[in-house]
Amino acid sequence: MNQLLLQQEASKELADFPHIKEFAYKKNNTIQLNSFNVGVMDCIGIYYVLEGKHNWVIGASEHTLYPGDIAVILPGENFGGKNNILNIGSLMWVKLNVQNHRQLIGEWSQLSKKERHSLEQILSVNKDLLVLNIKEAQALFFELKYELQNGEVGFCTRIAQLLDHLFIIICRQLIRQNHSRRDFPTTFLRLEQTLRQNLARQWTVEEMAAFAGMGTTAFTEKVKNYSGFSPLNYLINLRITEAIKLLKRNEVNVTDIALAIGFYSSQHFSTTFKKLTGYTPSDFRKNNIQINNLQP
Amino acid sequence: MNSIIAIELGTNAVRIFAFDLMGNIIGFAKGHYPTFHEGPDNSEQDPEQIFITMLYVLKNLLNETLYPQKYVVGCICFSASMHSLLTVDKDGVPLGNVMTWADNRGKEEAVELKESELGRKLYEATGTPIHPMSSMVKIAWLRRNDPERFKRTSKFLPVKSYIIQQLTGACIIDYSLGSAMGLMNIHKLDWDDDALGFAGITAQKLPQLVPVFYSEAKLKKEFQKALRLQPEVKLIVGSSDGCLATLGAGVWEEGKATITIEDSGAFRIIGDKIIKDHNKQIFNYLLTKEHIVSGGPTNSGGVIFEWFTKRFGDFKKAFDIDYSMGNLIRDAAEVAVGSDGLLFLPYLLGERAPIWNANAKGCYFGINIRHERKHFIRATIEGILYEMYSIGKTFENHRTINSLSVNGSFASIPFCTQIIADIFNKPVSTITHGGTIGVGAFLLSATEMGMYKNLREASNTIKMHQIFLPNANDHARYMQYFAVFESLIEKIGVEFDTISKLQNIK
Repeated sequence: MNQLLLQQEASKELADFPHIKEFAYKKNNTIQLNSFNVGVMDCIGIYYVLEGKHNWVIGASEHTLYPGDIAVILPGENFGGKNNILNIGSLMWVKLNVQNHRQLIGEWSQLSKKERHSLEQILSVNKDLLVLNIKEAQALFFELKYELQNGEVGFCTRIAQLLDHLFIIICRQLIRQNHSRRDFPTTFLRLEQTLRQNLARQWTVEEMAAFAGMGTTAFTEKVKNYSGFSPLNYLINLRITEAIKLLKRNEVNVTDIALAIGFYSSQHFSTTFKKLTGYTPSDFRKNNIQINNLQP
Repeated sequence: MNSIIAIELGTNAVRIFAFDLMGNIIGFAKGHYPTFHEGPDNSEQDPEQIFITMLYVLKNLLNETLYPQKYVVGCICFSASMHSLLTVDKDGVPLGNVMTWADNRGKEEAVELKESELGRKLYEATGTPIHPMSSMVKIAWLRRNDPERFKRTSKFLPVKSYIIQQLTGACIIDYSLGSAMGLMNIHKLDWDDDALGFAGITAQKLPQLVPVFYSEAKLKKEFQKALRLQPEVKLIVGSSDGCLATLGAGVWEEGKATITIEDSGAFRIIGDKIIKDHNKQIFNYLLTKEHIVSGGPTNSGGVIFEWFTKRFGDFKKAFDIDYSMGNLIRDAAEVAVGSDGLLFLPYLLGERAPIWNANAKGCYFGINIRHERKHFIRATIEGILYEMYSIGKTFENHRTINSLSVNGSFASIPFCTQIIADIFNKPVSTITHGGTIGVGAFLLSATEMGMYKNLREASNTIKMHQIFLPNANDHARYMQYFAVFESLIEKIGVEFDTISKLQNIK
């Protein structure tokens, strides 16, 4: 089969698909220096390995991919071959333009807004885990190639469907591969650790549910059962816990603490903190210092 | 004043029970906090998270359940899991996380001490087996391996001390949790000089020891206001989860023992004398200075069956482990007593009582070509319960035991309770209420308030529920298999160490 490289503007096959930046089927028989330089992605790229062993840099880490493996590269991530080399073998990829870093799947999609949003959440929350083994993606890539090259009746719809399909199987595999559906405590612990590392982020329940690979309703019920708190209250719990530590350390001012742990204002922080502890954050700090000065 | 609150700072959650003065549960809430495992032997929790979670759950329970029904809280009693250790600096600020009972970093320190003459002396003085769980061993480990933190530490505290200090400012610990630290002389009711010496600290570095009924520490005004509690609300320091579970199980009389199996498990009896075990294995913790809870703890409880379920159960609905466990139990019930000759050693997490070997590992023995999945299920359950029996057996050398009381989510599954009755060949009763620890805390509070003459009278009010009677034929069958179980454990020795080493090679 012949190689193929379709690029937006240059290739007429992509004229009806402004969102497809590039589609390629590449066979590489020789190793050449600087054949695959590491650089920052400005779009979303989905790479599927057909043959060979490929050493790639994705984000901050190195990955080795084998036939049947897929890599999803999000915009803003570093990406390229290790030592800037494309290894021997063959692969296919599609690059899609994005509006911004949060909206990964464009308006071309036929998915409902809600489901599209969930898929986007799953991808962005798991951005360090986007190397997956998905053999069934091979058929999708070849169909995509066929549709792009032949332009038969209905091809616009088919291409949107195939891309949607690709995103769905990627997200499903991501969840299956990384979250056992048997072990909620482990999944919850990983979520907790992610929340603790990103307390400043304005987390939504949808995002947290996506992290656990569950629907919002089932997730909320499960969290409530397991932890005794609703997801958002659990998050408040973590935020106040962190606040107490920072207040005791006595280095950071109250407004900075509020922002660092995800409250939108020091007023909001203060009210929440006082409701729970009986102290305003600054009184808590003062009180803590006073006690300490009394101790020998 | 018409209600009593019991706060249980457990291994993975805070559970808060509210009782009316008759002992009926009028409210319950829990809040989970995680355990972090940074290394294979580390087991840590965040002290501020425990505190905030406790506060949050308490506040919700008061506002959502108690106040709408016009209940007024008379007292709050604390329970906590044993052997935890937190270091705080001179300002009372935590240095690092809480090390829980499951933290095994002090393995080497424990092994060295255990075989020595000092080890025997310390066991007899403190009642705590020499094991990395012991706070004394943990402190010795810190001194050797984290001298910087050791030096900066102004107090070494069980997590309950820290929580009470946040609420009241007082730095205290009850005899029960104190006696589980491995640092308290249970005969003199004071910190033990030899133990302090081994840990490398002075008594000033520890909280003040107080009886379990102690209620002098007063809740700070800010918390009174935030929680809308009366200024005269009493804070009772309370006891440990193990001691209170025994009290709440209503096992007081001679000839009775209690079996608790949650994730981990324990076999316990209450008496007025310390059991001197020449193998240094049986723990003796103080409920009060007259009442000693003696027993043996096992790592191999419900957590082992949970492991089996996660690996081999059916999960039709995501994360629905209860459903999956229920199905496994149904399959296990189809198999004959003794699993047609399939045996299981449940040491997936190493073991404490009765073999005290951190390197012990799990093992299926006797597999033949006819064994099916359901045999493995039943063998797994039987293995966990044989293990409990082997602990119980060590007590028969010291006390006569005629009947058992069983509690905990795993042991009180009727299928398991019946196997316990058959293996031990003793009648087994279960209890009508769910939380024995909470009930224990209620009985302790009610006794302090003068509603009962003493703890014995309080404990006698516990009504036993269902009685499971042993089946003599099944017992005989189990004993044939148990003999093999026992001799397997004896025969596998160095292999546990070797395989453990191999497993730890990265």
